[in-house]
Amino acid sequence: MTTQIAPPAGGPGESREVSSRSRVLPSPITGQEIVLIGVIAVLWVILAFATPAFMTAGSIQPLLGAVAPIAVIGIGMTVIIITGGIDVSVGAIIMVCAVIVAKNLVSAGWSLPVALLVSIAVGGLLGLINGVLIAYGRVHAIIITFGTANIFQWLGLKIFNSTTVNSIPDTLATLGNGEQGRTWGVPHAFAITVILLAIAWWYLRHTAGGRHFFAIGGDAQAARLAGVRVQRRVLLAYLLTGLLAGLASCFIVAQGSNLGQNVGTGKELAVIAAVVIGGTSIMGGRGSVLGTLLGALLVQTVTSGVTQLGWPSQLSDLFVGVAIIVAVGTDLIRERARRARR
Amino acid sequence: MPDTGVRLQMTDITKRFGAVRAIRHADLTVHTGRVLALVGENGAGKSTLIKILSGAETSDSGSIEFEGAPVSISSTNEAMGLGIATVYQEPQLFAELTVSENIFTGREIRKGGRIDWTAQNERVVELLELLGLPARYATATVGDLSIAEQQQVSIAKALAGNAKILILDEPSAILTDAEIDVLFTVIRRLTTTGVSVIYISHRLDELFKIAHEVTVMRDGRTVGTYPIEDLSVRKVVELMVGGILTETHHERHIDPTATPRLELDGLGRAGDFHDVNVVVRPGEIVALYGLIGSGVSEIAATLYGIERADVGEIRLDGKRISPRSPGHAQRLGIALLPANRKLQGMFSFQSIAFNISAGHLPLLSKGNLWMDRGRERSVARDMIKRLAVKTPSERQAIGAMSGGNAQKVVLARQLVERPGLLVLAEPTQGVDVGAKEEIHKIITELADEGTAVLVVTSDLPEALRISDRLQVVRGGTTTVEFGRDATQVDVLAAAAGDVDNDPAAAPAAPGVSSTEGGQA
Repeated sequence: MTTQIAPPAGGPGESREVSSRSRVLPSPITGQEIVLIGVIAVLWVILAFATPAFMTAGSIQPLLGAVAPIAVIGIGMTVIIITGGIDVSVGAIIMVCAVIVAKNLVSAGWSLPVALLVSIAVGGLLGLINGVLIAYGRVHAIIITFGTANIFQWLGLKIFNSTTVNSIPDTLATLGNGEQGRTWGVPHAFAITVILLAIAWWYLRHTAGGRHFFAIGGDAQAARLAGVRVQRRVLLAYLLTGLLAGLASCFIVAQGSNLGQNVGTGKELAVIAAVVIGGTSIMGGRGSVLGTLLGALLVQTVTSGVTQLGWPSQLSDLFVGVAIIVAVGTDLIRERARRARR
Repeated sequence: MPDTGVRLQMTDITKRFGAVRAIRHADLTVHTGRVLALVGENGAGKSTLIKILSGAETSDSGSIEFEGAPVSISSTNEAMGLGIATVYQEPQLFAELTVSENIFTGREIRKGGRIDWTAQNERVVELLELLGLPARYATATVGDLSIAEQQQVSIAKALAGNAKILILDEPSAILTDAEIDVLFTVIRRLTTTGVSVIYISHRLDELFKIAHEVTVMRDGRTVGTYPIEDLSVRKVVELMVGGILTETHHERHIDPTATPRLELDGLGRAGDFHDVNVVVRPGEIVALYGLIGSGVSEIAATLYGIERADVGEIRLDGKRISPRSPGHAQRLGIALLPANRKLQGMFSFQSIAFNISAGHLPLLSKGNLWMDRGRERSVARDMIKRLAVKTPSERQAIGAMSGGNAQKVVLARQLVERPGLLVLAEPTQGVDVGAKEEIHKIITELADEGTAVLVVTSDLPEALRISDRLQVVRGGTTTVEFGRDATQVDVLAAAAGDVDNDPAAAPAAPGVSSTEGGQA
């Protein structure tokens, strides 16, 4: 409880020596991430014993394929949540992008690059709308994105025009779950996700721009006074998430030859769950994209595990729910412990 | 003094916010390597003037000259570019980032596309050395540091931009006396390197330890600038309030045989305090004074029901009580004024009327069903008049009011029903001199009407001024007691103790009456 100022350090030479040897940055991996890796490993071992089919390529490959869209949007969502915001419109963004791509693959015969570019551009545009409204309108992110989610959803359904898109050609097979979608057994979508994630991880950790996201989430006003361009950064976070949702839409379209009107539904919650389970603080200021990947992996492991064990699928919702509460709970306990120490 | 040339000159500054003329006319001169204190009541325009200087606001008219050349400061970045750095009262830090990162946010040292962590860290270690802080702080996460340490980090952050003028906005408000001494050492060290300091504080006695000149503001005007040698605390206060302050220290009569309203008997809580004995009689004002960390705030928290005592008794009118929560304490008949009013005391977005009536809803409602708005309004208006709250209407939101006025409103809530026992923690923290005076007057009036008052404070002049008896808490226990004739020196000596580093070691000084003795 005492708030004593520590006595001045010893000789100047001595203290400098200590600092140059000690670690300049916090550990690259957080405690929560280590715990997650442990939990996932334990689950995989258990599942490997319980259902021999789990540890086969035929089971792991679709699992990674399913992780990809969640984790790739999770990169953007992590950045948003680090700034203290949230985006509940990504599910609706997926719907708009996916239906545009699917319809044009069928009717206009788009090539893979065109489909990717248009999808990412549309996602980016919708993300930009969110970003502008939140950064410059100064209304809380959950309100804005809740509103835009409904608008985007209306737009998506309008394009669907009340019918499922059927017999989509396999133009996007390179990103899909089939043999064409893998190199050395690794699904391309997952590989792309990991590469983007590595870039994001490095950017967030080692560049001024990346650190500014954390500063904004810690105290936006202080960040502004420190010369951080808060509005521009916030706008960027939503724009990035939109772009990534556009990319993820192509992963999703690539996974089948039909596209139902429920595409994207609930995906925003899956993404937010992955981010929160990954240890990003919902209060902002702290988080990592590595954690988000692990969070998405855990959720998907639980989901496939429950299916393969032949358990009722609602159980996976229960487990994911518990994981979210545990993650948020640890965050709160940590925060309280810190307050108590003062 | 290395050089005492004029570094900054602000001339004829004015600023309006809508209809409010925050600054009518201000002049400010800052010399190289000197400490200029800026004082004034809350609302006198100090903060606005500082905001103009630091680029957070722009003035409507007037000119600023920096090192002889006219400048216009239209953003915080421009101010920082000139070398004007501000340390705000609340540390403007990022809890989840390291000290090193905090200091360099917004002006990172870059190498290629990335931040040069090693170079930043070396610079941070230099700054920490300048401030006399251990180098290991550089990589510590700010959220793990104490408030005082965070403030040191804020200063380091301000200095990292090679500051020529350092503005400290009430830096001492959140610090203990020992921490303030460290702060002053830092300030002196900085001025010898040529940094100019603008020091804002409500604790006027401090100015005489640190300032070279004092600029006084009143009602949006700078009244004048005086060398510290020509001033006394009294003189400063008179300049601030614009009149002569009369010292009211009238003798109050308390019946020493009356049944105590509140008794703390051997109260203790492991790790926080032990053997706390306090008696407050009807009509009596007792102050519990202790430095931060002495356990005094934990004792208050126990009375509030925020924490529970392990041993001993709390007796109210002879009946043993143990408050489980602030609400429970109030139902038991203890009116409370919490120390941290922003967090615990007020509903910022709500009106004055709402803030006063909250907690008295049964009294102000019809049949406990719906609010009697008319009565709520009249009670609020009555309180505004009684406490001299400066506000255009009882519908004003409390969050928009100055500290002193907000505190009066929070106090008003406790006075709607005349309480038998009033417990106040730091009742005038961050409150300007005029409002302080009024709050003290209200407390005294209540006591005159028979309320027993216990004031828990770390503000010694306040404790001396309003209390009939003053008990010093040190090392977690009530030690010596003083009557009305106590002097600041005596009490401070008793609170700080003879053995500097071990507050628990020294027993109560001989020659002063023990806790239960009483000199009242």
